[in-house]
Amino acid sequence: MDLLGHLRCFRAVAEKRHFGRAAEVLRIAQPSLSQRIRRLERELGVTLFDRGPRGVELTPAGALLLTQAEELLECSTRLLATAADLRSGRAGTLRAAVPPDLGPAALAALLTGFEAASPGTRLELRELPVDAVVRELAQSIVDVAVVRHPCPASGLAFGPVLHQPLGVLLASGSRCADRPELAVAELTGRRLVLFPRASAPALYDEVITALSRHGCTPEAVVDPSGPDIVGALVLTGSAVALVPRTVVPSGTVWRPLTGTPLTWRTSTAWPAGHDGPAVRLFARAAHQALTAHGGLLPDPDRPLFPRPAMEFPL
Amino acid sequence: MTRDRAAGERPSPGDRSNDEGRAGIRAARVRIAASFAGAGVRGWLHARDLDTGAEIALGADIPVSTGSVHKLCLLVTLFREAAAGRIELARRMDLSADGRTVGRAGLSAMLDAARLSLRDLAYLTVAVSDNAAADVLWDELGLETVNRTMADLGLTRTVAVHKVRDLYAALAEDIGPDSPVDPVVVARLRVLDPAFTNRSTAREMTTLLAALWQGGACPGESGAALRRLLGLQVWPHRLASGFPFDDVRVHGKTGTLPTMRHEVGVVEYPDGGRYAIAVFTRAASTSITLPAADAVIGTAARLAVDALRNAATR
Repeated sequence: MDLLGHLRCFRAVAEKRHFGRAAEVLRIAQPSLSQRIRRLERELGVTLFDRGPRGVELTPAGALLLTQAEELLECSTRLLATAADLRSGRAGTLRAAVPPDLGPAALAALLTGFEAASPGTRLELRELPVDAVVRELAQSIVDVAVVRHPCPASGLAFGPVLHQPLGVLLASGSRCADRPELAVAELTGRRLVLFPRASAPALYDEVITALSRHGCTPEAVVDPSGPDIVGALVLTGSAVALVPRTVVPSGTVWRPLTGTPLTWRTSTAWPAGHDGPAVRLFARAAHQALTAHGGLLPDPDRPLFPRPAMEFPL
Repeated sequence: MTRDRAAGERPSPGDRSNDEGRAGIRAARVRIAASFAGAGVRGWLHARDLDTGAEIALGADIPVSTGSVHKLCLLVTLFREAAAGRIELARRMDLSADGRTVGRAGLSAMLDAARLSLRDLAYLTVAVSDNAAADVLWDELGLETVNRTMADLGLTRTVAVHKVRDLYAALAEDIGPDSPVDPVVVARLRVLDPAFTNRSTAREMTTLLAALWQGGACPGESGAALRRLLGLQVWPHRLASGFPFDDVRVHGKTGTLPTMRHEVGVVEYPDGGRYAIAVFTRAASTSITLPAADAVIGTAARLAVDALRNAATR
């Protein structure tokens, strides 16, 4: 039996909870899919699904096996990727990713730093949002990355956390634009532009919480539908944007926030247990570049006051 | 991070920054009123900066039925008596299984006889608003001692007229065989009328908290012990929900009656800012579970605290 092929069918049916829809995804005929699942159940000696009139549900045994099936399929993806690298002679290539908005200075320093530390390795660097990077690290399409936190930690190892300060982008002529820095509380009553929430919900919520921690409960946060729209909203003076230090569009200025209250937490990440020499060199070069050239700051020592609802002791 | 309190401590009429501070407080009052309305509740609020004395008030001098918030008066009295050497907090009480005041948490919900010290009964009274534990303390101290203590502290409108068991007896009598969520029934409940039942005002509750935090109410170790207990209350859904910050301490005591949801407490920021807050609410809806009405207590409290913090830095 082609075990991996059958497990792929198992995973698809479990995801769709429906033989017809799973067959569509797999681009095979439904009877053939049903036959494969029955064959797999026979081979394993376990019933994987409860079949009802409105679809199928995983049995408890099926749910248990699904986790392991997914691990097996992920391993096979990794194995094939490694084999493809060996075939194409790219084994000496390090595939790395960085999040948007790290800034050109930090990236340039990272490229130079890694090249100096590891002249024999070809670096393939891409810009990826955090959800994509986590997926690609898990599938070993990316070997090492700079990620933003909150970042799902399962299966990943991280370098030390750094903080990228956010500041305010506002129209040159607008209120407070002539001041060297602004306090978060002064943003109360202004329309704020952040990134689209769907692109990183946990980070978005963390920024909103940090705003309220420092005295600003925004009345309106505008979900920008594109970088030009952000620029336009700022230029008209109808909103201010929260962004890291950047090369500012003309007609706008960037001002830091007093006391660095808002930051994006950033670190290097790689699949746990897969920190070969190239990954370690990249992680070190990235940390060095981000602190020395990217303006990122070390993790501040914040007091922690656990509350009873937390349940576990600290 | 330290705040410059000097400007807030030296108010001078006509000073521009002070005018801005007052405008900030006015704007915050409008937003707090809008949050109450948006959550479908009427709200009474008082918040004070424990160090500058700056305050923000909405209906803060209107008497309100306190419900379990009055347990704070009971506990301040207990710990004040202890500080004066009139009562021994470690004295243990034999609690038989019968005749306990009803409730859904703590000794009220437990089935067997127990032996607990007065201070551990105080813990249960705060942590889960244990009615049985509170009545052991009420019986030990008496209504008169508690009322006299409040008067000694300058609280002339904070009056207890019954212990927990009598409060609930009146409630049960008014509900009779009918539904407690029937608006007709709720309209006739005497325990919602401050003239009939235990009562106070939002301003007097923050006066009491200020006296507890500044050492006047319960001097020395006994004050520290009670402040610790108020930090151990388990409920996360009201005051604490407005301060979802790991580095901020929240202390509080809730109170709940049909349609009424309250919490009074103290919030401490790591920069040294300390704020006493009392929020009383009465919902239009008679539903027992009303998450928005619980959460608005936290939202309103934070808007108030932000306005006070902002006023102090100007």
